[in-house]
Amino acid sequence: MVYNSCFDIIGPIMVGPSSSHTAGVVTIGKFVRDFLGGEIESATIVFYDSFSETYKGHGTDKAVVGGLLGMDTDDSRIRVALELAAAKGLQVVFEKRGDCPYYDHPNTVMIQARTARDIAVIGGVSLGGGISKVFYVNEFAVDIPLNAPYDLDDLRNKLWHNTRCEAAVGGA
Amino acid sequence: MDFTSMTELLALCESTNRSIAEVMVARESAKSGRSEQEIVETMKLRLVRMKEAIDQGVSDQSLAPSGISGGDAYKLERYLEKGEQLTGPIVGDAMKFAFATSEMNARMGIIVATPTAGSAGILPGCLFSLHENQKYTFEHLVMGLFTASAIGYVIANRAFISGAAGGCQAEVGSATAMAAAALVEIKQGTPRQAVHAAAIALKSLLGLVCDPVAGLVEVPCIKRNVIGSSIAFSAADIALAGIESQIPCDEVIGAMYEIGKKMPRAYRETALGGLAVTPTGEAVKERIMK
Repeated sequence: MVYNSCFDIIGPIMVGPSSSHTAGVVTIGKFVRDFLGGEIESATIVFYDSFSETYKGHGTDKAVVGGLLGMDTDDSRIRVALELAAAKGLQVVFEKRGDCPYYDHPNTVMIQARTARDIAVIGGVSLGGGISKVFYVNEFAVDIPLNAPYDLDDLRNKLWHNTRCEAAVGGA
Repeated sequence: MDFTSMTELLALCESTNRSIAEVMVARESAKSGRSEQEIVETMKLRLVRMKEAIDQGVSDQSLAPSGISGGDAYKLERYLEKGEQLTGPIVGDAMKFAFATSEMNARMGIIVATPTAGSAGILPGCLFSLHENQKYTFEHLVMGLFTASAIGYVIANRAFISGAAGGCQAEVGSATAMAAAALVEIKQGTPRQAVHAAAIALKSLLGLVCDPVAGLVEVPCIKRNVIGSSIAFSAADIALAGIESQIPCDEVIGAMYEIGKKMPRAYRETALGGLAVTPTGEAVKERIMK
């Protein structure tokens, strides 16, 4: 079951206007940041289906960038996340596509993000009511619910992209 | 102690002699390992955040960034002050509080999703109207939130609660069902009556499409929240009178799921159909997206 707690239904406490198009996406962006474990320098964000049609009105762009900057769903700075990103030198490119080929749901996003050392490609789906999960990490199909605790170290060990190895080798 | 249907929920209520709210608190405690008291306190904090959104929203006359919503909670309050409204004080205040919450949501203010942000006005609107008009305490309202969460928990796992997945019936429909059940339990109705209230409320909103103008959670979402709050009171009164839904609640949820699955993409939060593509809807979109 996707919804496991009374607080999945009464919650999250969040900046409006849409739990699936705003709050759920903040959480996906924050996962990307946590997974990479550092300041993100650039990101390409692909919105599919419903996201691609309505992302501007719902602030989905602000939400995902807010998450990449490390904000929680109730952080009122989400409103100015794009300006904060620009000020910090985080370069963001948005793309719009139709159906998502990797996951059958209208609210899906793929994020390719880079820090100074690493790159990751992460796919997330916002399931409704602010609940989301990650379904894709670096060419691996995964199923990581973001409304339950997850072990970041374990995920990193299993899911690092080859580029990480190259970077490590290059740096040695 | 868990349940995946209204039938199982009611069986649990009966076998443990507890209300729906009490079953939900016990379930949460068993599942999370946190004490019941801690869980109630966490929920109370959410209730307080709802109240803050209402207080701010009632006095805020500003428009949302789009310019197509805002200030209606204030306008309704001025009207209600005259005491001449057709719906009476309870539904009047519920509508006002629902407006306040949903308008704050559109302004990118801080709200609590119940179960979604697009439907966040209904449950707080109903609960705080009871608080204002019938002197139910915050403790009563918190238990109402647990009742509502149990109903939402079943619906969310058996069907959907987002407009993109199942249309507005999944959002405003679910929220109204949750609020109706909460009202019944706060008013000392039985768990069975609460579940029937949820069924009656949800039935009334089956088929409702998600067709937001310019893709914004404003038109028609805000007024659907307001109307949803009045439907919740009607459904609760019907159920408290001992009237039952002829179709059991689990089957109503099944019907909602079936309808949502067959609903064309244009009516599932893509802003490609319905009110979104009326001449006025298109004109608003053009002006905003410019």
